[in-house]
Amino acid sequence: MVKTILNYNKLLFSLLVFCTYTLLADQCKAAEDVNDPFETVNRNIFKLNNTLDDYLFKPAAKGWRKIPDIPRKPLSNLASTAKTPISLANAILQLNKQSIGNIIGRFLINMTFGLGGMFDVAGTDSFGNVSEVEEDFGQTLAVWGVPDGPYVMLPIFGPSSVRDAVGLGVDTVTNPLSFAYRMNNIGLEARLSGPGVRGVAKREKYLDYLDEMKEGSLDFYATMRSLYRQKRRKDISGELESKDLSLSMLPIDVYEDEELKTEVQTEVQNVITTTMNLDNSNKEVKKPRYYNGILPSSGYPGFNESRVNLIE
Amino acid sequence: MVFLRKFLILTLFSIPSVSLSDEKIEQSKFFVENLGKQVVEQVSNINLSENERTVNFRNLYLSSFDNYYISRFVLGRYWKRLDSNMRKQFIESFNDYIVATYAPKFKGWEGTFKAVDSLIENNYYNVKMNVLNKDGPTLKLMWKIYLDKNKNFKILDVNIDGVSMLVTQRAEFMSVIKNNPKGVIGLIEAMDKKTSG
Repeated sequence: MVKTILNYNKLLFSLLVFCTYTLLADQCKAAEDVNDPFETVNRNIFKLNNTLDDYLFKPAAKGWRKIPDIPRKPLSNLASTAKTPISLANAILQLNKQSIGNIIGRFLINMTFGLGGMFDVAGTDSFGNVSEVEEDFGQTLAVWGVPDGPYVMLPIFGPSSVRDAVGLGVDTVTNPLSFAYRMNNIGLEARLSGPGVRGVAKREKYLDYLDEMKEGSLDFYATMRSLYRQKRRKDISGELESKDLSLSMLPIDVYEDEELKTEVQTEVQNVITTTMNLDNSNKEVKKPRYYNGILPSSGYPGFNESRVNLIE
Repeated sequence: MVFLRKFLILTLFSIPSVSLSDEKIEQSKFFVENLGKQVVEQVSNINLSENERTVNFRNLYLSSFDNYYISRFVLGRYWKRLDSNMRKQFIESFNDYIVATYAPKFKGWEGTFKAVDSLIENNYYNVKMNVLNKDGPTLKLMWKIYLDKNKNFKILDVNIDGVSMLVTQRAEFMSVIKNNPKGVIGLIEAMDKKTSG
């Protein structure tokens, strides 16, 4: 009897250790967990999207940039205004008073003073710089507590998550403009004009930025995945940083390596002296390899010992 | 009487601290605006040779950014697995990679930097800035900076339209390390290849 109880306790103890280990491992992994179980498929779709981008979207965005401000800006503003019903519906579903006020305010100002939404006068100083707010069903689901789920790469639409992909589908189906188009037998070309203009305008906005990213990147897919996650986080919660990867967690004892720190400080003095005296004429300059030795003190701002192990 | 004394003491201490804080905020804005001006003068200038551009960019990067701290952050959990020599090698390659990646991009760039606001949060200064591109849309940046022990501002991160460059770089490096059988050494080799290519 006693033996059975002891065995039972051993089993319980082992289970407890296993559960604690699993829990801790999960927490440690969470900080850098990319949640991308379909990575192989996603990477292939990403390749396809890149090819489409090179031959279709990027040239279109470049062409769009060359169009004079008028009609480019009015067209872009009209396409943005056309998204108002869906943004407003989602703002209401989220009970987000600030967004509701912002969307209605912008819509009324631009529809009246902005000549039917062609000019974004609401965003000017005269009307108090009312910024553009876009709400979608993916955000609404997030506000309702639905987690984003695995990362997915959609053909043409690009980076998304399971939750946001569902949201995109719901927004497309329930858009009042889609009903209006169908009821009036308006063709696909006209229906696609709004999303088309919005897509090209957005691609144009990030034209140089994305090219630079792609050129300098060691893993463009991972870069885009991170960009998407951060952007969505900002759109949904307004946070600029993930709590798991917050820079505020950084002021841990990063300067624990005294030997390296001293070496770095010594080297930087030599480098600064060398580069200050550098003759920039036609001399062949040896590629300098050095560090910045001006290091923060151990009394780093925000230093908090309680955070020391959180990042590892 | 006691109340009056407390009031006077509080007033005496509070007035200089407010003005000091305001002064630092203005200095933080000046720091990033001035850095922008230096980039335009010393890096963007089309009359510079590629060598001069690279050297000037490297000097600005090393003197304005806390590159040791940045290196530590972007390597995440792998940092502690490296010995001193490997860390040194990584910092070296990472600095070269940053300079080789970004210095050429500024060639001929025209625009202006305008610091619009600066907020103190957990001892960091979050300086908001508008970058007015001559041929393109305005970019909204947020610089995360702090004052080091020598009272010099150091940049930790640049946030572009809500996207942290540091977090993005870290995510990319984690993926490279994960997908490369050589791990961190593979990452260093990939950076060196990009730098020399």
